[in-house]
Amino acid sequence: MDAFLLIPIVLPMFFGALLLFFSFREKNTAPGGRRERARLCLYVSAVLGISVALALAAAWSGDRELVLFTLFEGVPVYFHVDALGRLFVTVVSLIWVLSALFAFVYMKHEGKEKRYYGFYLILYGVLVALDFSGNLVTMYLFYELTTLVSMPLVLHNGTREAVMAALKYLFYSMCGAYGGLFSVFFLYRYSDSLNFAPGGTLNQAAAQGHEGILLIAVFAALVGFGAKAGMVPLHAWLPTAHPVAPSPASAVLSGVIVKSGVLAVVRVVFYVAGTDFLQGTWVQYVWMTLALLTVFMGSMLAYREQIFKKRLAYSTVSQVSYIMFGLSLLTPDAFTGALLHVVVHAVVKCGLFLTAGVFVYRFGYTRAEELGGIGKKMPKTMWCYLLLSLTLVGIPPTGGFVSKWYLAEGALQSGTGVFSWLGPVVLLVSALLTAGYLLPIAMKGFFPGSEHLQGLEEPHGIEEPGEGAQAHSSRKALGPELSPAMLVPLVVLAALAVWLGVFPGPVSEYAARIATAVF
Amino acid sequence: MAFVQNFPFLSILLSLFSGPLCSILSGKWAKRVNTGVIVTTGVMSAFVLQHVISTGQSYVYQMGHFPAPWGNEIRVGILEAFMACFFCAVMLLCMLGGIREREEQIQESKQNLYYVMVNLLLCSLLALIYTNDLFTAYVFVEINTISACGLIMIRQTGRTYEAAARYMIMSLSGSGLLLLGICYLYAVTGHLLMSNIREQVQFLAQTGQHHLSLMVALGLMSVGLAMKSALYPFHTWLPDAYGYSTLSSSAILSSLVSKGYIFLLIKIFCRVVGFNVVNESKVVNVLFVFGIIGMIMGSLSAIKENNLTRMIAYSSVAQIGYIYMGLGLATEAGIVAGLYHVLSHGATKALLFVAASGLGDASGNSDRFADITGAGLRNKLAGTAFLAGSLSMVGLPMFSGFISKFFFAQAAVGHAHKMFPTVIALALSTILNAVYFMKTVIRIYTPAPEGSVGGRQIGVWEQPAKSAALVCLILLNLILGLNSDPIVRLIQRGFEMFD
Repeated sequence: MDAFLLIPIVLPMFFGALLLFFSFREKNTAPGGRRERARLCLYVSAVLGISVALALAAAWSGDRELVLFTLFEGVPVYFHVDALGRLFVTVVSLIWVLSALFAFVYMKHEGKEKRYYGFYLILYGVLVALDFSGNLVTMYLFYELTTLVSMPLVLHNGTREAVMAALKYLFYSMCGAYGGLFSVFFLYRYSDSLNFAPGGTLNQAAAQGHEGILLIAVFAALVGFGAKAGMVPLHAWLPTAHPVAPSPASAVLSGVIVKSGVLAVVRVVFYVAGTDFLQGTWVQYVWMTLALLTVFMGSMLAYREQIFKKRLAYSTVSQVSYIMFGLSLLTPDAFTGALLHVVVHAVVKCGLFLTAGVFVYRFGYTRAEELGGIGKKMPKTMWCYLLLSLTLVGIPPTGGFVSKWYLAEGALQSGTGVFSWLGPVVLLVSALLTAGYLLPIAMKGFFPGSEHLQGLEEPHGIEEPGEGAQAHSSRKALGPELSPAMLVPLVVLAALAVWLGVFPGPVSEYAARIATAVF
Repeated sequence: MAFVQNFPFLSILLSLFSGPLCSILSGKWAKRVNTGVIVTTGVMSAFVLQHVISTGQSYVYQMGHFPAPWGNEIRVGILEAFMACFFCAVMLLCMLGGIREREEQIQESKQNLYYVMVNLLLCSLLALIYTNDLFTAYVFVEINTISACGLIMIRQTGRTYEAAARYMIMSLSGSGLLLLGICYLYAVTGHLLMSNIREQVQFLAQTGQHHLSLMVALGLMSVGLAMKSALYPFHTWLPDAYGYSTLSSSAILSSLVSKGYIFLLIKIFCRVVGFNVVNESKVVNVLFVFGIIGMIMGSLSAIKENNLTRMIAYSSVAQIGYIYMGLGLATEAGIVAGLYHVLSHGATKALLFVAASGLGDASGNSDRFADITGAGLRNKLAGTAFLAGSLSMVGLPMFSGFISKFFFAQAAVGHAHKMFPTVIALALSTILNAVYFMKTVIRIYTPAPEGSVGGRQIGVWEQPAKSAALVCLILLNLILGLNSDPIVRLIQRGFEMFD
């Protein structure tokens, strides 16, 4: 029993719910004054700061565990911090803080801020609980809650399009979650316990003779939980739902929430069913095929998509399936690579969506071709964008290179026949496509070519002093390129993305330790 | 014999005679008497439950100390006492939640008649639960039907007359089939007392005599009770009856009345015919198939509905399907899951009906989807309650719906033929439930468009009785969801006592 674990879960939920309560009480939804907004930001940062500090403290101070109460025979609501949960909690916390910082400025023009922050805080608590979950049923509970609580972020602006997207998200996730529950029914019967243990808890004696049905169950869990990770065939919600959310929300949805699907898959496959059970079965091969298909398809769709945020969403579909492919290979190296890519992709995709948010916030630009010449207006943002893109493509010495290296290495060693070489090939092709859909924006941004120049060039040559002064003052009025609250998260994320590649040691060793434990 | 052992008989008698008493009282006093009777019966059942748990065995109570063929018997075990207790609690909450609706929708001069009906209904439910005599069961089935009809049409609109007429026709044909079945059984075995019939049936089954008559009797009784509890092809009376009657009626009808019949059917299966005979017959398979079809079709109809109360009513069709699916599995685990779902659905459906009326209050007494937009913001408690009920229906862990779903699946896993149909039906039905309940939840939390009329804010203290009922029902749901272990053990022990 360790009640300390409960605090970072309950605290943000409680204070988030409080905020929601007040937001519903307000009669007018018009944004309040400056002071009120400052107070709101202070409140959110205080709650989030304390929760994050407590969550990290709880995560990094030993294997804490807590049995809350028993749901039914042998299945308690049970929290247990282990190495994997620790990694995920850290990533979630980091992204959450940075994206909140960005939202403080960005959400001004979206309105209904209290509701946003209310759900944002609750969602943090739910995700911490998801990462700390110690058995399948607890995880299922918080997985469903993740869906329910993140849905309001998607439908934030209340348009019909947003509501429909949110419903689509809800149904895909719920269908998927039922796939997961389906596997729980069977695993409950054929395993020693539903508690997570590295290497699996399957009861070999009980499972004897029921392998066929168990494989189907595990496959249902893969496809089902894969829905949240945007894996084919349940991927269609992702490019609809992520772009309609406000940018900071898309950043956390794409950066972190999709990873809850990954986490669930890892828990089912590596912590309950066990790798030995799946090695070489049809489930593994189908899983690999689906993952590779998704990688390729996502990249292709992203390549021909012109709406910037939608392009990023397709890119998420593709990149998260890198992780899925890494997991499906069932080798330690690929597993390490997958975990690394979890970190890298969270950092990068959060950063990219935030840059998209910058464009929307400052200029109202949503389409890729509108971004020509933008590097002149906001060079710092564009540099961050460039670094993040390079990381996602996987060019050394960035973080993406390291994770993809591990993935390719793992694939080559896996001994899965055709997949051991097909995998790296698809990854390479997809990397090229990634370069093809991300880098032109940076190129056009910095070197827009002659047709953009007329409209964008600042009147530097001063012919008439009056006009020049006016232009100068109007530029002053716009202020610096970005307020620090928006710029800092971008810079931090870009720096992290590169840092992960220059000094991959600590993280990759940590991931490798998890990998040795589960194999 | 301990004094407590008289309580089941006394509670039946109390509720039976308080019915006619209410007819000469004024509406206000009838209400008080009714509340008092429900509370007293509930407390008595709790004492009985405590007594049976402590002694660890069931007992048979002979009325007037006349032995079986002449006298009438009551049999009390853990399951019976627990169900009685639960039914009283839910009925009290339903009555509490619908006070204002009753005052508005029922004529001043007929207020007391409503309580006559409720008391008789309670009496018949208790009798169905406790009785050890098949013919007594039939008598109380009829009393149940008639009082339920009264509950439906006391609102006195054209819709409710029609609904009551439909209910009457369907329900009486059900009773007719049940009676026929009982007659067959009596003709074959020569007994009306459950335990005697069972001995005889077991003997007949072993020797293989009268096989056809037995099967016909079993089939007739199953179909009859299935009609009365709105199993899928016989559900057509249900949406009107639940959708248009006054709030406490629809809540009581959906969460208790249909469950009383199901409980009787379980009793017939286990105590009258004997489980092994039922198992060999094909009747359970038929129930299983129709249960599954009902799960799907009920949800599909609910999706098409654009009226909140009727949507909830259709969802009852689906939930009844769940219970029959559990029965159809014909294993102990399946029946225990079904019994758990009786509790879970009873608590959830009452909650949803009361919450829906709260949402309607905040939308100018309309329950059309177009009008309830934003109702969850105008009436927060009702909104929260509806959310809780929906999550339970969808099957979020911590709510009762998840537990029963899990038990159904556990009962099915490893079952030779019925594993896949069950699990797939559960999957489909979960998703369909999510479709219509989440759609509604989103709607009630979407702020109403500017310029819409009829909506008004409703505070928690405006209708304290309804608020209290909602809070209690939410708690009941959470207790069933969070604390299922002892309850299930109770059901299991009670079920073992059945033999």
